Amino acid sequence: MSSELGFKQTGHLDSALLDPAAASNVEKLLGRWANTNRETGGIAECEIQRDGDQFRIEIFGAGENELIPWPPVRTKALANLEEEAGQRTIALAATFEFGFMKSEIYIRVNKGVLVIVLYNTFQDDSGRSNYLNREFFYRTK
Amino acid sequence: MQFAQLSDRVDGNGSVLDVHALPGVWINSNPNTTGIARMVMSESDGKLSLQVFAVGPEGLIDWGSTSVKVFAGLPTSKVGAGFTCNFDFGFAEAELQGMIMKGLLVLAQFHRFKDNSNRADFFVREYFALEHD
Repeated sequence: MSSELGFKQTGHLDSALLDPAAASNVEKLLGRWANTNRETGGIAECEIQRDGDQFRIEIFGAGENELIPWPPVRTKALANLEEEAGQRTIALAATFEFGFMKSEIYIRVNKGVLVIVLYNTFQDDSGRSNYLNREFFYRTK
Repeated sequence: MQFAQLSDRVDGNGSVLDVHALPGVWINSNPNTTGIARMVMSESDGKLSLQVFAVGPEGLIDWGSTSVKVFAGLPTSKVGAGFTCNFDFGFAEAELQGMIMKGLLVLAQFHRFKDNSNRADFFVREYFALEHD
């Protein structure tokens, strides 16, 4: 890769970033996923579908008596140049806007387990602390 | 009170967080990284900023310093357990999301190119340890 390209770290010049396969191997992420912790007060379920060159993420928060559907978001895949079991993986990043709160998440798969990391920012002056969370999911279909 | 998940449904008692766990010099556990080698988290008047030094072809590249948003581990907690921040390089943006786990800083990086170079946007996850005096 040409060093005339802008860079702020050597990784920006990694020739693999021009390889179409860098953001492939998406099947690992697709499907319906359930939290491994049935008692979670956070995300209970997640569904990821392919939508052209994007991904549609639908999240269901744990509710009192029923799941709380979050407004679906679409996002593009991010290549992950690290290798897992000899295969390159990808990650998804997305932001959910609720008005009173914003949730920035990233999703990746590690050895068949879907990992969602959330950074929640309250925007309603309720005095609640902005907080992060990490949860694990298994594929249900 | 509005909530999107049960864990949000708590009473707040102010939003000032104890950030004592975050300031310091954080060193990448991987000496062969092609990304961020070290980070300096500084506190001033209760606000945090992060200066990043990344590996370049001819030595470390100083990204400069940016302000940091701190996150607790729970909406009822007052102890900072992670952070987010952004760097805009013009040709690309880097979003950093850090989380302290068992004394290690787990850093997720999201790099998005804006220069039509056809480089794939990418994600990196690395570990950093706090340098001791």
